[in-house]
Amino acid sequence: MTANESLEKLKQAIIQGDSQKAILLVKESNEMGIQVKEILNRAILKGAEEAGKLYEEGEYFLPDLLMTGDAINAATEILKSSFDLKSEIETKGTILIGTVEGDIHDLGKSLVVSLLKGQGFDVVDLGSDVPPEEFLRNAKEINPKLIGLSGLMTMSISKMIETVNLLKSENIQSRIIVGGGILSKESCEMIGADDFAKDGWEGIKKINKLI
Amino acid sequence: MGKDWAASVNRIFRTISGSKRVDKVPFLAFAGEQMICRVTGKTVKELYSSPKVYTNAIISTFEFLNTDSINVPSAYAGPTEALAFAEANNKLDAIKWFDYKPLMCKQGVICKTEEDIDKLEIPDHSKNNLWKNSLLTAKMINEKIKFPQVISLSIWSVVQELRGIDAYKDMRRNPDLLLKLCEKIYQSQMDIYENWLEIVGMPPNVFIAGYSFNRHMMSFQDSMRYEGQFIKRMMNKIKVPFMLHNCGTSPYFTEVVKEIDFIAVNGSHPLDIEYWIDFKKKHPKIAIIGANIDVSREMLWGSPSDVEKKVKENILNLAPGGRYICCPVCSLPWGVSIPNILAIPKAIEKYGNYPIKMN
Repeated sequence: MTANESLEKLKQAIIQGDSQKAILLVKESNEMGIQVKEILNRAILKGAEEAGKLYEEGEYFLPDLLMTGDAINAATEILKSSFDLKSEIETKGTILIGTVEGDIHDLGKSLVVSLLKGQGFDVVDLGSDVPPEEFLRNAKEINPKLIGLSGLMTMSISKMIETVNLLKSENIQSRIIVGGGILSKESCEMIGADDFAKDGWEGIKKINKLI
Repeated sequence: MGKDWAASVNRIFRTISGSKRVDKVPFLAFAGEQMICRVTGKTVKELYSSPKVYTNAIISTFEFLNTDSINVPSAYAGPTEALAFAEANNKLDAIKWFDYKPLMCKQGVICKTEEDIDKLEIPDHSKNNLWKNSLLTAKMINEKIKFPQVISLSIWSVVQELRGIDAYKDMRRNPDLLLKLCEKIYQSQMDIYENWLEIVGMPPNVFIAGYSFNRHMMSFQDSMRYEGQFIKRMMNKIKVPFMLHNCGTSPYFTEVVKEIDFIAVNGSHPLDIEYWIDFKKKHPKIAIIGANIDVSREMLWGSPSDVEKKVKENILNLAPGGRYICCPVCSLPWGVSIPNILAIPKAIEKYGNYPIKMN
């Protein structure tokens, strides 16, 4: 098998969300001496991009994207253990993310976390039901490029406002994106965030634009 | 003079059944625990502690909001059902209580592993205090204001509570395991129904919270597999008309009504009125409860006159011919202004008396 064929197979495994196959193919690519950057850009990230395209076209649904996310994470974990990844590729930056206090929904957030990690971001996931003070403490500690606040319920909007107000009052300079199906341009303005996303995939695209 | 609940009962149920003997467009709202706490000043635990306290608080809240509908918010297969599963399976650490809003279940904790699903005990709802008090409250409302209470059931809402995000991965990696969980939840829903029959009596309708029927969550084929087929089984057992609630942002209303016989659909999305006009044209016998009034938009950020405009738009386009109920979707949040809520019945009074005056 040539390097191109190996990368193509890995890309397909990512698109299909086949973690086991992706792990084997990363190992194989490694043995063939393919550069880490090539594996990441031509197979893993390209696979993520194509899965996202299938989602936008209505061919793929959330379960498929989540499986792709798992495959990306599995593949990059192997890459990390096989190579000194950080020396070869610079991180795109750190992102702090969490579902706001009083809300325990994390579907969209989990998808975002999984795909962002695969795209080379360092992601600090605070989980769900996160108080504003917890966002602030972590923001001060890690100085993220971007902070993502997630929430499913309408009542989460007031907690997003509270969190953003606290972050801004403490002079946190990170970009802020809010995510959730309840959000609109009006609510985003009211919250004081830089942008909003209605679902996980839109979140990925907007985060990449914001950073 | 007290509220004329008999008139509201007629308005709501006649509209759903398509009767022409309706005086005006009904107003249906979901006033959850948050709103009841806000109006009455009571905590959630106070409400849940006694069916009598809960009944009075619910009635006074819905009367204050001037709705034509009334329901017991906790008698719903969402958080209350998660609590029942948590209790039955000794996993109460998954439950988080709040003072002024409904309890929450940390998603995916109760059925974290395959073994959890295999060993999952189906709750006995007659032994769960919250379910028991909620059903007794429904019964007291029936008795006190003669408003027949509608039972609310769900499959996917409970799947999400119990299995969390893994449920979506199971669809691809272990569908049989997911179906096993759905089956247990179905059995549990039927136990709720049996208890409802015993305590409250025969419901006039079943209100299905069909959250799986959403494009951003799964394919329509998957929603039929993991929820639709179980709703069909419920329909075979419970011989009353079913209504479909879906407060998601990309619902499969058009697709699902071709597969399952619902008498009404309830949702706010798509927010485009043209979609709902078209839906009414194509499905004249299915009542629309809601259309494009969303609690996180005009209701939350607008003024009473913005709400009035929205209600007017809905009434003029959807009420002629009947089978339209004005309803902001979904549960009224804590922060929504009371004048905005009251703008709905005011606008109905202005534009919604039958026959509808188009100019």
